[in-house]
Amino acid sequence: MNEQRKAILDMLAEGKINATEAERLLTAIEPADTAPAADRKTGKKYLRLVVDYTENGEPGRVNIRVPVALLRAGVRLSALVPAQALEKANAEMAKSGVPFDLTQLKPNELEELVNHLDEVIVEVDSSEAQVRIYSE
Amino acid sequence: MPQLVTLKIERPGHRTVRLWIPVLLAVVLLSPVLLLALIGGIIACLMFDMRVFATIAGVGRFIGALPGSRFHIEQGRTALLLIIR
Repeated sequence: MNEQRKAILDMLAEGKINATEAERLLTAIEPADTAPAADRKTGKKYLRLVVDYTENGEPGRVNIRVPVALLRAGVRLSALVPAQALEKANAEMAKSGVPFDLTQLKPNELEELVNHLDEVIVEVDSSEAQVRIYSE
Repeated sequence: MPQLVTLKIERPGHRTVRLWIPVLLAVVLLSPVLLLALIGGIIACLMFDMRVFATIAGVGRFIGALPGSRFHIEQGRTALLLIIR
């Protein structure tokens, strides 16, 4: 048992955190490479993005498939981005008319989002494009 | 760790380009450049107060999770397909 895992279990035993928080912390410290082929939490292996569109009268299609493990690794990597970089990105996004605060995106919340991807199906239909996002 | 990258490019009026790139061979051939990139990355981490080893581990995990990715983009008769195995 590594030190981080032991520290979390000690905090749980001492009542400093509840079982849900302990589970989240244990999830956050477990290495991505121990995840099995089919993602253990979502039961799904891939996230699929399909966009069908028409541009200048020509049909186009974007079909992207990424492993859920890649999203998980990306979320963990994003936690390492320094706050000053996020603030600069916020300022640039605000200049472009997108008032979005990246500092409010917490790795734990993103992790939860990835965990529940199997329940998410996004479908956007318009006259020019159709977008579908789902896990498989 | 990715083993093979497959790239296919179709353009009207051009021959279809198909490339199968063994990642290990590419890494060996590009090792001097990759070493410079690693040094540059470490310096950047130190400049921006990022944890060097955590960042390297995170990038390693990200690259390790790439196999299974597939990107297919079509526009009319032009198409690009990238598969990472």
